[in-house]
Amino acid sequence: MSNSLRTSDSSDIENPTAGDGRSPVLVAGGATLAGALLSFLFVPGVTVFFVLAFLGVAVYGWFVHQEATAKGLMFLATISTALVLVLITAYLFLRSFPAFEQMGLEILYTNGDYWSRGDDRYSLYPAIWGTVLTTILATLVAAPLGVASAIFISEIAPSWAHEIVKPAVETLAGIPSIVYGFIGFTIINGYMMDNFGLTSSGSIVVVGVVVGLMALPTVASVAEDAISSVPDHMKDGAVAIGATEWQTIKSVTLPASFSGISAAVLLGVGRAVGETMAATVILGNVMQLPEPLYNVFGNTVTLTSLIASQYGNAHGLHMQALFAAGVILFLTVMALSITAQLIEARVKQNLGGEL
Amino acid sequence: MSERTLRNQSRDPLAVEYSAALAGLSVVPIATFFAAFVVGGLTLAGQRSLGSTILGIEIETVLTALLFVAGGCLLAISVGSRYGVIETTPDRSAGLGVASGFGFVAFSGIGLAMSQTFGLGRLVWAPLALIGGLTVAGAIVFAREDLGVTVPAGLFSVAIGSLVLFDGLTPAWAWSPAGFGVTFNGTVLIPLLTIVAGLVTAWAAANAFEGFGAAGRQAGAFFLIGANATLILLVLLLLIAFIVKNGFWYAVDGIEIGPGLNFHWPFVMDGYDVVLNQKGIYPAIIGTFWLVVGALVMAVPIGVGAAVFLTEYAEEGRFTSVIDIATNGLWSTPSVVFGLFGYAFLVPRLGNNTSLLAGMIVLGFMLLPLVLITSREAIKSVPDEYRDASAALGVSKWETIKDVTIPSAMPGIVTGIIIGIGRIAGETAPILIVTADNPQRSSAPAIMGSFELTTSPPFIVNEALLSGSSALPYQLYGAITTGVVGDDPGYGWATAFVLLLVVLSFYVIGITTRIYFRKKLQA
Repeated sequence: MSNSLRTSDSSDIENPTAGDGRSPVLVAGGATLAGALLSFLFVPGVTVFFVLAFLGVAVYGWFVHQEATAKGLMFLATISTALVLVLITAYLFLRSFPAFEQMGLEILYTNGDYWSRGDDRYSLYPAIWGTVLTTILATLVAAPLGVASAIFISEIAPSWAHEIVKPAVETLAGIPSIVYGFIGFTIINGYMMDNFGLTSSGSIVVVGVVVGLMALPTVASVAEDAISSVPDHMKDGAVAIGATEWQTIKSVTLPASFSGISAAVLLGVGRAVGETMAATVILGNVMQLPEPLYNVFGNTVTLTSLIASQYGNAHGLHMQALFAAGVILFLTVMALSITAQLIEARVKQNLGGEL
Repeated sequence: MSERTLRNQSRDPLAVEYSAALAGLSVVPIATFFAAFVVGGLTLAGQRSLGSTILGIEIETVLTALLFVAGGCLLAISVGSRYGVIETTPDRSAGLGVASGFGFVAFSGIGLAMSQTFGLGRLVWAPLALIGGLTVAGAIVFAREDLGVTVPAGLFSVAIGSLVLFDGLTPAWAWSPAGFGVTFNGTVLIPLLTIVAGLVTAWAAANAFEGFGAAGRQAGAFFLIGANATLILLVLLLLIAFIVKNGFWYAVDGIEIGPGLNFHWPFVMDGYDVVLNQKGIYPAIIGTFWLVVGALVMAVPIGVGAAVFLTEYAEEGRFTSVIDIATNGLWSTPSVVFGLFGYAFLVPRLGNNTSLLAGMIVLGFMLLPLVLITSREAIKSVPDEYRDASAALGVSKWETIKDVTIPSAMPGIVTGIIIGIGRIAGETAPILIVTADNPQRSSAPAIMGSFELTTSPPFIVNEALLSGSSALPYQLYGAITTGVVGDDPGYGWATAFVLLLVVLSFYVIGITTRIYFRKKLQA
């Protein structure tokens, strides 16, 4: 092996000088891939040539400069994750722009006459309100139960119960949303009509509870990470002065992991906001507000179920309005996700510093 | 430190032995809670009616009796503890949390009774309910802890029991709050309130079992948290059992084995064809299979590559934090938004119709952050000693990554991928928008047979990849929206059963491998 005396760290430093032959390969690789992307965006027909050229360069590089090629490819892979997000943002905004332009602020709030294809009027107000209501209900279910199960898993459970409950919570996350929707549609909707005298199939409260159940595993697993990352020496202090386990949890562990737990709840809220199929199948998806506004037994539509139930026969401004719904969803969820990450980063800094 | 040593520390060391009477009285409400949960649950689920009998006793009577027994035991404990017959170690007060909880219950109870039953106006009921609630809360705050916990819980239980016993609340009773379009029936409220009261009394009893004080509060809290964990387990088991019960027999109907190697499983191996009278989901299974394969081909190399780059090469800094935000953002992006993106970005470029290929790419994008996050965790958890040892032998960084780091991280990476497959196999919304065309197809997409070489770009074409397909979750959605479920509910349940089987087997395999490798690592 030619570089047998190199340590792992110094190879990085030597790259620029030792890699004279490599840079053309990297440049060629990058150029062909950028070409492939650009051509796919604007002239999809010729993309194949760029892809073939890129593959050629990559194969050549792999045999001649394996390390540099691998590193370059992995770098491209890293960039592409960010690129996907950029593309999603760009296409959502591009497609929804006419709807925002035409409707102005009325797309968010208007009085009466929300949705009319004849007049080309599309206000998302009922859908936004529906999403708000279902998300509040879902959070009321997911946050307390999720945090309680996180405490159970990380602090209380004896090891046999830990081995059962943790996988069970994960499996709960695995049940596809359409299955929840199917059960809601066939069983719970009928149950509510029979036992609670609801007049139409589907109500906000059912969606809220079902979506809450689906967001629960997210809250539980993120909160569990936060709770178990509280360093032992903090808890030991409480135990040393004679506190019970519950007193330790209540006055040391939970306050110390409070930020992490709120991040968990935020991520759970994000899941609930974006949950699509259960809402689509259970709700009636009528473009109307519940009467009165806080009537959780009413029937309405959410942003997600609006898209899923109407995209099939939408054209022109109608379709763009659906994209606008997508933009609102996307921005809400991104804001929640970024806030949660900032909180988590701060937690890591605070707790990590004391280790 | 074990639970037991902690508990003994917190108590007065001179009074560790509690009487058998206390233990007996406090176990009873916990037992009645379980009984009320089972009986009330069966009634709520419609398996039994309030008028039917268990062991010769009417269910309504059983529930009422449970309420009185549990409440009575608690009140007995409170009297015994107050007059020193039963030895306990209560604190001075039950605290604001308990007080506000029971205060709120009193407020709602009085308020609802005043406004709904007696029809008093807001100006009358609101102050009265507020006074009632504050009185209860104040009494609890100023009473000693043993009384503050047991008396309100016992009275709550007895009050609900009396309502049912003296026909204040009968199965025929109904209440429709104005403007909500909903009716609360006695048939639902009686079992529901019994379960709630049972939970409250059981919490108080768990508290009393440890003689109140810090140990008692711990017992109460652990009881509630344990009950929550049990409830989640129960929900999961019931969901799965329900789907298996309703779907299994329809799904396995008409299986033929033999003669020889002949094996035919109609539901899984046939398409949906009205003419041939076939009702199978073979096309959907094949569709889901190809979607998963395509998504894996897309996401695994990119995700693992990015994970290696981020952990092994990139310096922690602005670049990595941007990628972090992007990855976590992708992870939380709603599936329907991915679908819209595919509709705007991919569909027009891939033949302007819904296609399997578009679905593969969109699902690949959804799988990408999952693979990246789990692979990164796995690579991070490879001990630095491994890398150092390899470097000390003079192996280059890339060789170390290739031969040491990635193989050591493999179990974690594979587990992440398996669980990721479970998640995307059940995704419906993106498939609905970019791949689906006809929910009841008679034939499966023939991917392998459709590859053709052409002389013009793109040189290789595959008709099947570029046309729409079904997939298991979409099949279920289609069955609901096209009304197939209305005519033949068994078909929907069987589809849900197969979908759940596919998805959960990935989860089970993934979780089991993780436990296996973790045990191996610890050994």
